[in-house]
Amino acid sequence: MAGIAQKLASNQKQVAISEFFEKNKHFLGFDSQARSLITAVKEAVDNALDACEEARILPTIRIQITKLDTKKDIIQLVVEDNGPGIPQKSIEKVFGQLLFGSRFHAIRQSRGQQGIGITGVVMYCQLTTGRTTHVRSKIATEPTAAVVDIGLDTRKNKATKANAGREIWYNDDGSAKEHGTEVTAQMKAKYQKGRQSVWQYLRMTSIVNPHAEIIFTDPEGEVHHWTRVTERLPTKVEGIKPHPHGIELGQLQRMLAESTDLNLNHFLLNNFSGVTNRARKELCQAAEIEGTRKIKSIKGDDIRHLLEAFQGERLFNGMPVKLLKPPTNCLSPIEEMLIKKGLSKTIDSRYVTTLTRVPSVTQGNPFQIEVGLIFGGNLPGDKPVEVLRFANRVPLMYQQGGCLLTKAIESVDWRQYGLDQAGGKGVPKGPAAILVHLASTNVQFTSEAKEALADNGEVMEEARKAMLEMGRGLRKHLEKKKKMAKTKEKFELINDILPAIAEKSAQILDRPVPGLAGSITKIMSAVISETTTEWNKETKQTDVEITLFNYTSRARAYTILATWPEKAGAGMVGNDRGGRKEALGVWAWKLDALQPGEQVKIHYSLRGLERNDWNETEVFFRGSQDVIGATKMDEKFLEEIRRQEKIVEEAGIEEPTEGEGQTPQSIEESEPVSEPTVAPPTGQRTLFGGES
Amino acid sequence: MARMHTVEETKEAMHLVVAEMYDRIVKGEPPTMTLPVRTKNNIGFDQKLGVYKYGKKNSIRDATSLGSAKQLLRALHVVEFIEEMLDAGKSSTLREMYYISEAWGMGKFGSQNESNNLAEDLEIVTKCLREDFKLRPEEDGARMIGNLTLRERNRRGEWMRINARDDVGDSGYGVPYNVEAEKIELLEHDIDFIMAIETGGMFDRLIENGFDEQYRCGLLHLKGQPARSTRRIMKRMSEEWDLPVVVFLDGDPWSFRIFASIAYGAIKTAHISEYLATPSSTYLGITADDIVAYDLPSDDLSKKDIEALNAELSDPRFADGWWQNQINMMLELGKKAEQQSLAKYGLDFVTETYLPEKLGELGLA
Repeated sequence: MAGIAQKLASNQKQVAISEFFEKNKHFLGFDSQARSLITAVKEAVDNALDACEEARILPTIRIQITKLDTKKDIIQLVVEDNGPGIPQKSIEKVFGQLLFGSRFHAIRQSRGQQGIGITGVVMYCQLTTGRTTHVRSKIATEPTAAVVDIGLDTRKNKATKANAGREIWYNDDGSAKEHGTEVTAQMKAKYQKGRQSVWQYLRMTSIVNPHAEIIFTDPEGEVHHWTRVTERLPTKVEGIKPHPHGIELGQLQRMLAESTDLNLNHFLLNNFSGVTNRARKELCQAAEIEGTRKIKSIKGDDIRHLLEAFQGERLFNGMPVKLLKPPTNCLSPIEEMLIKKGLSKTIDSRYVTTLTRVPSVTQGNPFQIEVGLIFGGNLPGDKPVEVLRFANRVPLMYQQGGCLLTKAIESVDWRQYGLDQAGGKGVPKGPAAILVHLASTNVQFTSEAKEALADNGEVMEEARKAMLEMGRGLRKHLEKKKKMAKTKEKFELINDILPAIAEKSAQILDRPVPGLAGSITKIMSAVISETTTEWNKETKQTDVEITLFNYTSRARAYTILATWPEKAGAGMVGNDRGGRKEALGVWAWKLDALQPGEQVKIHYSLRGLERNDWNETEVFFRGSQDVIGATKMDEKFLEEIRRQEKIVEEAGIEEPTEGEGQTPQSIEESEPVSEPTVAPPTGQRTLFGGES
Repeated sequence: MARMHTVEETKEAMHLVVAEMYDRIVKGEPPTMTLPVRTKNNIGFDQKLGVYKYGKKNSIRDATSLGSAKQLLRALHVVEFIEEMLDAGKSSTLREMYYISEAWGMGKFGSQNESNNLAEDLEIVTKCLREDFKLRPEEDGARMIGNLTLRERNRRGEWMRINARDDVGDSGYGVPYNVEAEKIELLEHDIDFIMAIETGGMFDRLIENGFDEQYRCGLLHLKGQPARSTRRIMKRMSEEWDLPVVVFLDGDPWSFRIFASIAYGAIKTAHISEYLATPSSTYLGITADDIVAYDLPSDDLSKKDIEALNAELSDPRFADGWWQNQINMMLELGKKAEQQSLAKYGLDFVTETYLPEKLGELGLA
């Protein structure tokens, strides 16, 4: 799991750090001068985002890049955040420590590190420019900020600190800074523009961190500002215990070695997710080990048997032992509405659709796919769509072609959804950008460089399904747009042109202006619906109005259905016509028969939303005669919504455990499910040579 | 028979069009405008007139789509505009009408082409002429040179006598847009035939070489697809003076079309073919055989050329054997040639060899 770190730890005494760094720079993210700069920004920004998230602070991050020496490609990078700050004592640990905390062993969704984190940046700076990295940090409870220069003694293989002190930290406006951290680093690096650049990294980061304010000053002095579009911090993720399906032999051995549990029964119930009392019994039987055996006595073959039982190779009653799925509350998806906001603020376009799939599990690891599609506007129509890939909110910028997420996009025939795609293969072309985010407790990369996701059938299937659903949405949108244009024309015809024809012809012939009702019915000969979804500045609500016109010669009866953002927590107010909930996010109104020439209006407002949260209401109908401007309700669509709703509901309900209310059960209840109980391996060292 | 109408007749004819729309609205139907289909599938030979006219196929433009409804509204605005001109004794060019339509709000034209087409639509349904509507074209009339004399009423209302050889410069007599009797009278001539020429270069070559005097003919520059007034004056000269008309064009599918519009009537103006077409005119060249016989420098037919030739094969105006032969031959050759390609054999070749030989076949030289 902690490949690099462990390798480094074990080799530390023999190999000089500079040599280690040189050998591994490709997967540490420092293989080219351009990439080194991106990696440095990435480490600093990720730390800032993580710290703010942990402390529940809305992050404001300033990044400034200055060219110090153009000939020698020396660049200065300053990253400042408003995070909680780091206590003086810990600064050295954070910036000089090679093996960092329990992160490597926690089973939860985390941004993760590129190689060895911010320490790598300190090393890189030292090795390329000989200069130390200046850190300034202030915590709220202290009046002054701590400052220190951190470097690396390459001969002694130790981190160095110098000029430690305290100072008052003033903001630009002269006020005193309350809390935050600022890193100033000087390194050999190249600033580039384009798809693989600091700008792109920050832009993508901003998309998936809509709660962050990011201000970037580039070497030319231009300021790029990505504003905060939500005050909602990402949900705090819960750590979970490992699931038996995702356990490897080494890990199991370690867990047993460190266990303080009474016996195997307790070990199984205390340390794993998805193991019920029933499963515990069955696992013991399948592994042919008494549950009352002491942990210390479980060795060699026993461990292998246990692992085989975990993996379903050893059977209970001829069947693999059934385990509960791991809980998915350890995942922190960005959520549809926020991805939408992130995309909208970053890319100028007309249509945005986003989708967060229900969490799923692969090899004992919970994961969740989120996708977004943005279409139209100023996006170029003749180029491949921009692919925005993310793993646990971290942008993936390299190796696009080899990434599972790209393959999922390529596996869809986008031509049927309104995008160009040569032969129905490859990345489609068109005025669009596609976002894919994988949130998972265990993101599998193709290599240590952590830039492309490794193939995985279940993840692929989820991503593909999400693409298809989104594609259908796009097609519907395009069809609707066409239909709406047509409807708009018809309305112009009967509201403007026809009255003008009647008036002008009457005037020329010097006769009375004729009535238009009959002609209008003949011209339209349809039932038409018009829907407006508008933000109301005064009430801070989104007003929706659906109008249904009967321009046919017969009375018509319909049920009208409309989508609304129930899932995002919106409330429906002022809905005078009542109606009923049809499914999650779908409301229905059964209307009285509409006489020829008659019209009916449905009004309501949505509260609890922000501006631009909800710009398009989809309207469906049930009834025999087609309605222009609405879609005939596909009952399968409703079923799918109800199905998804059920999954979500079930996920929140514990499976009832059968019988046997004895001790192990109560142990499980009394032990809160919180931080992973697996301790970090021993032998961690910091560059300062201190203990962890 | 197309003829000029009085102001009252014109207004009445236009009111019939307006009444069709009005009455349909009164009946609770979408308003409509009925007009003949204006494609080659709906033109037929009129035995009595000797020209091609629109057949019986009508298309109904009804206000069930926004585009058609706007057309109807525009037609009403045009009718109103024409009535105003008739009452005020004014006239306007089609281009002026296009700009005036800017003030018509929803009834304004999207392009000049639209306003031209609508003027033609109105001509067709009312059986009136553009001249009745007091609408003038932009198009340049032709130039003429030759020993023929006519009388033109000038802006001051005075009649001027003009000889198209002695009273004009090298550019010849300019044919005005209105060549009806109220404006032009044909007086006398001393020529044997009229030759219509497609390009200005060839027209000037024949003048420089003194061809009109040597072969006793009137030369007329068509300027590509000839304007209505050009076709109309050819028709008048041919009828009133009983003169043969020969047509000398490039050798390509588009020239064939020009000839068809001169001799049989254009598809777009088939409602007034009997007024514009000269059925007795003859196609002199360049023919497909000329390209071979004179070994003329030629260009390959383009895709569009081939499409045009194939369309002509099914055009009723080219149904006779001679034309079918020429068109098929050109398709087989895969070549086309310009009038000026005759210069391959020197500047005088056209006047000393080519034209005398071709006219000889017709007994005109």
